[in-house]
Amino acid sequence: MQDLLVQMLEGTVTSLEIFFLTLVFSLPLGFVVAKGKMTKIAPIRWIVDLYIQIMRGTPLILQLIFVYFAPFYLFGTSYDRFTACILAFVINYSAYFSEIYRSGLQSIDRGQYEAAKVLGFSKAYTFFHIILPQVIKRILPALGNEVITLVKDTALAQTIGVAELFRVAQTASSREFSTVPIFIAGVFYFVMNYIVSRLFTIGEKKLNYYR
Amino acid sequence: MENMIKLTGLRKAFGGLEILRDISFTLPKGNVLSIIGPSGSGKSTTLRIITQLEKADDGNLEIAGETLFSSVDGKAVYTTPDKERAIGLKTGLVFQQFNLFPHFSVLRNITEAQKAVLRRSKDEAEEKAISLLRKMGIADKAKQYPYQLSGGQQQRVSIARALALDPEVLFFDEPTSALDPELTREILKVIRELAEEKMTMAVVTHEMHFARAISDWAIFMDKGVIVEEGTPEALFGDPQEERTKKFIASFEE
Ligand SMILES: Nc1ncnc2c1ncn2[C@@H]1O[C@H](COP(=O)(O)OP(=O)(O)OP(=O)(O)O)[C@@H](O)[C@H]1O
Ligand SMILES: [Mg+2]
Repeated sequence: MQDLLVQMLEGTVTSLEIFFLTLVFSLPLGFVVAKGKMTKIAPIRWIVDLYIQIMRGTPLILQLIFVYFAPFYLFGTSYDRFTACILAFVINYSAYFSEIYRSGLQSIDRGQYEAAKVLGFSKAYTFFHIILPQVIKRILPALGNEVITLVKDTALAQTIGVAELFRVAQTASSREFSTVPIFIAGVFYFVMNYIVSRLFTIGEKKLNYYR
Repeated sequence: MENMIKLTGLRKAFGGLEILRDISFTLPKGNVLSIIGPSGSGKSTTLRIITQLEKADDGNLEIAGETLFSSVDGKAVYTTPDKERAIGLKTGLVFQQFNLFPHFSVLRNITEAQKAVLRRSKDEAEEKAISLLRKMGIADKAKQYPYQLSGGQQQRVSIARALALDPEVLFFDEPTSALDPELTREILKVIRELAEEKMTMAVVTHEMHFARAISDWAIFMDKGVIVEEGTPEALFGDPQEERTKKFIASFEE
């Protein structure tokens, strides 16, 4: 029992690592991708569009397998499962976040940019102080949904053998002929997502002071 | 009298379609110019080029003696980016849709550019904002957010926001078109007061009586050209061109 808890705790840490590392990289990268999708330079736009289509059009589980095994089949080299897992999650989630950012950016009235320009604000100042705060307010609900999905998606990392919480729970469950470990894992995902959605609700409330 | 705006031979096309063809006018310091004309005649585009929201294709423009662009081989050549910015600070623009920043309070809408662009201190910027709000008759709204205000109040905030940067010339693009008649009167009163203070202004408007009353000079535009211009008495009272007559008559019921 002691052993089981320690194992599950380690699995939980791995799941949390996948979660946070994915967010740390894909939240900013999503912006870069969104910019790429909105660029005037057609070839870049096509490539970015294709990338987003692939990420959204194929299962994440397949992408994980591809990212981990492709280098092995192509070049005969293999690399760390955990690294492969983070890589796959980041390129997948950057695509999803980029679409959320893009819809947010495009929902901002052109008049906001024009007013800022006429008042003499620099491009950077306009983006960070005028546009971005309004974008964040608008996309927060969609972002919340995506982050909740990410919590659950971390369980897919087991496909390439990463010992995250769900894999640990499954292994323990078949070893001990008990569903208890699975149940414990379920509680973790639930609690985690409860916290995530609470945080997003607080964020939305905080931004409720204007329309 | 010294010229605030001297525009000659302005041309502009969108996607091959010429929508401004040889627009020229001058606006002396302390004067009010009104620009009238049917929809699509190029009034907004003219203001947007002077306030640098659009680029000219050809022509010459001097603002307060500084050249923004000049015609070289049939093309408008702009001055350096630094000078563009400096000239931009001499001009202000009030939009039909106000375009206030919804996430800033009324006060901050007016102080933000003073602080970030003109590097004024917080105290100085707020003092200026409050005195402008007082002038607009909405000092009690300083802490509110734009969505809490009526359209007329929002438009007054946007005028205060433009005035806070001490522009030398202020442009209005149909400042009352989004407002109902009562709120329209509020805004026209504000503009009239500015005119009395000798603020240099150019106003695109469909309020004919107002235009006639406040302006020193009036321009009628149609299809990208200035069809007729003159003193308001002449243009509104005794128009010479057929198109002008028709247009002005269409407002008189
Ligand atoms: N960015 C743009 N791209 C393409 N066409 C444009 C653009 N901006 C304006 N136009 C066109 O230029 C012409 C003049 O437009 P403009 O907005 O200057 O007219 P206006 O006199 O202000 O009309 P209104 O009274 O309706 O405001 C119109 O035919 C318009 O469709
Ligand atoms: Mg217009």
